[in-house]
Amino acid sequence: MRTRLPVIICGVFGVFMAAQYFITAEPVTAMYRAVLDWMQIIFVCALLVGILNVILRQLKSAARPGPDRVYAGIALFGIALMVVLGFGWGIGRGSAFLWVFNNVQAPMQTTVFSLLAFYVASAAYRGFRARHFESALLIAAALIILLGRVPIGEMISSHVPAVVSWVLNVPAVAAKRAILIGIGLGMTATAIKVIAGLERAYLGSRTR
Amino acid sequence: MSEIGVWITALTTLAIYSFLYRDNPFYKAAEYLLIGLTVGYSLVISVKTVLWPGLVLPLVGGDLAKIIPLVLGGLMIIRLVPKLTVWSRIPLAVIVGAGAGVSIPAMLKARILQQMGATVGHVASLNGIIMLVGVIATVMYFYFSREQKGILQPVAKIGTWYMMIFFGATFGYTVMSRVSLLIGRMEFLLGDWLHLLGG
Amino acid sequence: MRFDRRYIFLAIAVAVAVPMLFPIGLPVAVTDETRQVYDRIENLAPGDVVMFSFDHEASSLPEVRPLAEAVLTHCFRRGVKVIGLALFAEGAAVGYDILKDVGEREDKTYGEDYLYLGYRPQYSAAILGMGESIAEVFPADYDQTPYEELPLGQRVKSYADIELVVSVADGSLPTYWVEYAQARYGQRIVAALTAVMVTAYNPYLEAGQLDGILGGLKGAAEYEKLLGQPAAGTRGMDAQSLAHLTIAILIILGNIIAFARWRRGKSGKEGDA
Repeated sequence: MRTRLPVIICGVFGVFMAAQYFITAEPVTAMYRAVLDWMQIIFVCALLVGILNVILRQLKSAARPGPDRVYAGIALFGIALMVVLGFGWGIGRGSAFLWVFNNVQAPMQTTVFSLLAFYVASAAYRGFRARHFESALLIAAALIILLGRVPIGEMISSHVPAVVSWVLNVPAVAAKRAILIGIGLGMTATAIKVIAGLERAYLGSRTR
Repeated sequence: MSEIGVWITALTTLAIYSFLYRDNPFYKAAEYLLIGLTVGYSLVISVKTVLWPGLVLPLVGGDLAKIIPLVLGGLMIIRLVPKLTVWSRIPLAVIVGAGAGVSIPAMLKARILQQMGATVGHVASLNGIIMLVGVIATVMYFYFSREQKGILQPVAKIGTWYMMIFFGATFGYTVMSRVSLLIGRMEFLLGDWLHLLGG
Repeated sequence: MRFDRRYIFLAIAVAVAVPMLFPIGLPVAVTDETRQVYDRIENLAPGDVVMFSFDHEASSLPEVRPLAEAVLTHCFRRGVKVIGLALFAEGAAVGYDILKDVGEREDKTYGEDYLYLGYRPQYSAAILGMGESIAEVFPADYDQTPYEELPLGQRVKSYADIELVVSVADGSLPTYWVEYAQARYGQRIVAALTAVMVTAYNPYLEAGQLDGILGGLKGAAEYEKLLGQPAAGTRGMDAQSLAHLTIAILIILGNIIAFARWRRGKSGKEGDA
């Protein structure tokens, strides 16, 4: 039961959702719409599992003596703050919940990601070496885009935008398209294996 | 933005940037605060904008069809109880199976057939031929069912040239993205906080 | 001697800060890609409906906000109705704020000219579901008003009533829009992307699966130029140019130094021999 039932359910839902693409009869469409709704509810519950797991983890850390105790406390404060503001005073325009989001959470996230501007520059200096033809191609393409996609490139030469456009729309598209097709074939094969019950990794490790 | 808001944003921004000098308690505190706020935000948004209008209100209103997603969602949440984890396989099977089912026709059409069609659709032009060669050569690079020797070897080599151009272009755009974020933060620090920018 | 990378960090900070303090005003040229998006919106008729999906995290805000504001402003000025939503949790608050800000600035009425639906998880199911019925996926808007009580909600039932979807994204969501909304329901889509994602979507644009791509802060600057309304995108272009130039110089410098070391090492070995 532990494995067979989920595999059967997975197969039935997989076959149904693939087949409904070709069937427009009302009962099938109604069932299809219901399943789409279930998927969203299940997904959000899975998200809640993750959220509750983080909370439990931080509570454990806060209860344990040690230097991480303070940091866990700060994380718990952040969680409690948003929960109290969001459930207590709403999430609409002018709410304290949105104020914290706009003034603390969003700027902090942006700042964390903007750190990468510094590290990318450092990596460009240290790691970008034209050791052979392939790496020289990579560096050349990077330099063309770096300089050609900003106003300064247009000032270097009037031909720069045309070169940039060609690089982006011909060789770069060819490579990405091949990768897309490859991934598409791989994912389709995996989806068929999942529906057929041959691929069961989603059930966890002890399922074979 | 109110003055207190500006100062809070400025201090948290500087706490994170302090990491550029070296790892320190201010950065770590900011990191944990961000984790907490993000988790709290996700919890509120998920419950208030998804579960409440999509499940709770219809159930309260007598929509019995919602009992099925209620049960499936409940089985997912009891995953938190180690002894009952096995029951979460049922909603997992629903979501994985249905997801796989809808993805097959979508993937075949949008990612494989339409992309292939676009590749062979322009072979009458020089750029179309360059594109076709690039797609075939790059696909060949990922063809691992046979050892890459003979004709396969030079074709796969050409594929790597195309990929290097793609990765280089992507790197250029990655720099662009990250610099844009830095510009956003710098504009805040120099303008909103220090009032050094005109206009 | 080991080179301290914090000098590089400092160089980047200076390259971004100096042109902000002392603007140069570099001219922004409009690319064909941006013009294509602009023309797509320009050719919409007043009363047409555009769906804006905020498919991004808060971390990409400095890039996506100027993009979204520029296209939204254009839509409102064309008399186009807008329905906003988010397929990422963080996009929910960001989208709400942007849509309300631009809507109020352009003197539009909530519910009639625009509305905001909030967040829905499991993007493939949400995108497919809206092809059947938007009200089933979003029974209520972000402020919990039932969808079908809003004037625009009564008019717009599914993709059949929507002219264009604009996915404002920093990740893989436009792929799902193409695979589920475009391939299945024939919905036309434009992607307003962070720069880092542009190369990933060019194949879809070339294949005609996307009606246009607007990329990064530069894309926003170009769009602002077409609108005749310089804003955050335009302001950032001097700093963007100088930072790119600095990084390009760093790449070239790193290679020159490496080459010089390699030559020195080679001549040293020859000398030893």
